Amino acid sequence: MTGRETAWRVFARELEASLEPERGTGERATSYVLSPFGARMNRVLLAGTLSTAEPVGRDETPSFWRARLTDPTGAVAVTAGTFQPRAMEQLRAGSGSRTVLVVGKVNLYHGRDGTAYVSVRAESLRDVTETEERAHYTEALEQTLDRVDLVDRLARGEAAAPREVGFVPPPWVVAAAESLRRYPSADRLQFRRDLRPVLGRIVGVASSALVPPAPPSVQVRRDPAPSPSTAPTAAERAEESLLLEFLDQVAEASLDAYADRRELLARVGAQGLGTDRAEAVLTRLEDEGVVEEPVVGKLRRA
Amino acid sequence: MADASPPSEPVEVRLRDLRLGSGPVEIVARVLRAERREITRSSDGGRRSLLSGLLSDGTATVRFTWWDPPREGVERGDVLRAVAPEVREFRGRTELSFGWKTRVGPASEAELPVVRPEEIPSRGLKDLTDPMEGFRVVARVVRVAERSVTVGDERRVVYDGLLADGGATVGFSAWVDFRLRSGEAVEIVGAYVREFRGTPQLVLDERASVRRVEGTDLPTPATVLDAPPVAIAQLEDTGGAASASVQGVVVGLLPPSGLVYRCPRCRRSVQDGTCREHGPVTGIPDLRARLVLDDGTGALTVNADRATTERLWGTTLEQVLSGLRDRPDPAAWESSLLEAVFGRRLRVRGSATRDDFGVTLQPDTVEPAEVDLDASADRLSARLGDGRR
Ligand SMILES: [Zn+2]
Repeated sequence: MTGRETAWRVFARELEASLEPERGTGERATSYVLSPFGARMNRVLLAGTLSTAEPVGRDETPSFWRARLTDPTGAVAVTAGTFQPRAMEQLRAGSGSRTVLVVGKVNLYHGRDGTAYVSVRAESLRDVTETEERAHYTEALEQTLDRVDLVDRLARGEAAAPREVGFVPPPWVVAAAESLRRYPSADRLQFRRDLRPVLGRIVGVASSALVPPAPPSVQVRRDPAPSPSTAPTAAERAEESLLLEFLDQVAEASLDAYADRRELLARVGAQGLGTDRAEAVLTRLEDEGVVEEPVVGKLRRA
Repeated sequence: MADASPPSEPVEVRLRDLRLGSGPVEIVARVLRAERREITRSSDGGRRSLLSGLLSDGTATVRFTWWDPPREGVERGDVLRAVAPEVREFRGRTELSFGWKTRVGPASEAELPVVRPEEIPSRGLKDLTDPMEGFRVVARVVRVAERSVTVGDERRVVYDGLLADGGATVGFSAWVDFRLRSGEAVEIVGAYVREFRGTPQLVLDERASVRRVEGTDLPTPATVLDAPPVAIAQLEDTGGAASASVQGVVVGLLPPSGLVYRCPRCRRSVQDGTCREHGPVTGIPDLRARLVLDDGTGALTVNADRATTERLWGTTLEQVLSGLRDRPDPAAWESSLLEAVFGRRLRVRGSATRDDFGVTLQPDTVEPAEVDLDASADRLSARLGDGRR
């Protein structure tokens, strides 16, 4: 089934601990970041305190902005570029810290020295009230504990969904099994301890009383190392993912399951990807066999 | 016909009593479905026409194949009498084939066998699949509403609703007024099952009959309608439900959302002033929202109608239309709608269906959802332990 990617409810601590990239099956399939605690994330929903956004790079008209989102367990970078004008506007809105809810795509980047950085490319973001933030933390903590319990059960060789637990989402079972395989020595007990400050926020302790730990960067050895030579640049990848995302949306909305070329161009145009650029990206994707146009003006994933 | 001396006189039987190799039979049954095809013979390239479909007499539903049928005049709903059809079996199920030996002609409703309710097998709602006929169900009417539809040039009233028993909830459509009231327990005989948006639905027409029963062990409408929300992953897993409640956060909008124009004849969305079905038309403005609702286990699309969209947005269709002069870009309105709904926690109940693109929920109710923070904090505190472990 080609449903929409779920927005996993996670805390910054879990993102900081996530080092393993994963590609779905098929060429140019959806990419995921696997956490040690049973999340296989393409998209996440986060809440926390957002710092003032700062431009990335030294361009006169910056095309990429970054802010830091802090929750009771840690911090993570939230970014937005010109391809997400709405999210960029929301990220840049206001100065000083504010409480926000963010939905976005998880990005994992390995620096040359092997350091892994997780960031979240915002799709949508808005200011929320304290009650909304507490409601989000409640749900996120409940689901995070459910997932860690699931990984624990699998680690003990028990059933994924025993009778007393009831329904367990099949994607969670897949993720938990993979977490266990890829992070055999993850410290789940410590992770549970790291989650404890969330409880204080849920019962309403003022956020200033809780000083979050500084975000650690994590050293990992990769074997084999990723080859950056042929990979498209981050900007190109962003263009491709934007285009493919809208292709899926337009196709989904159409009766014949094809994306109308004109409509697609108009939609990505509204997102800041001009027609010439979009055509170039489309041509590249068609050349690479990712997208096809079996009927003139009608596009679909190959 | 050509065969002047049949081995013995055909015996009239009911469809459920058809047996392989039991001698010549005669049946009376109604056409439930019929499809005409042309077959090209590989030997000489000659063409032969073929009508195939489903027949039912209230006791069973069987597939039939009719070689060289009349050019026209065999329609869904017609009652036929077939003398000396060939009885076959395919994958364990009985089938009928009408060949040159078979005499087929029209018959009247009155010639259909009279089936007493006791003779009819009882079925649970969870066992209903398309096609199915010749069963009875005992269920609670959870909800019923009148709807007016146009069939050809005729306006008809349809009674749509939900039925529930201990095992499942299914939608129904009654084309006859059986005076169904929500809350009552009924026994339905003579209905048939049809797939609607991927889920089985019970259809009641003139052939169906309804009897009120005690039904003390049936669920009440309230237990069905106030059922706690299920995980969206569960709907993705099972493929939909006639009545499901979910709770999640709006994380996005799918196009088309916001201001849309609809064909005045069929209400389809109009693109560039053209309806797919009716060509160039003057579209009627409407509001809609295709909300992406996500609960952390999965995501689905909620198709919100104008009233729900206006309520969530806090903006009416009139306000959008009068604001178009100042803000003609539809994308700007879509942004404003997204800002109004993004991050909202909603409890939505309705019918859920699944296709290749995931689950879609056609909502009956859309309400803001609350999280009980105190109760949750106690529960979570217990789960996290007191810090000494
Ligand atoms: Zn139309």
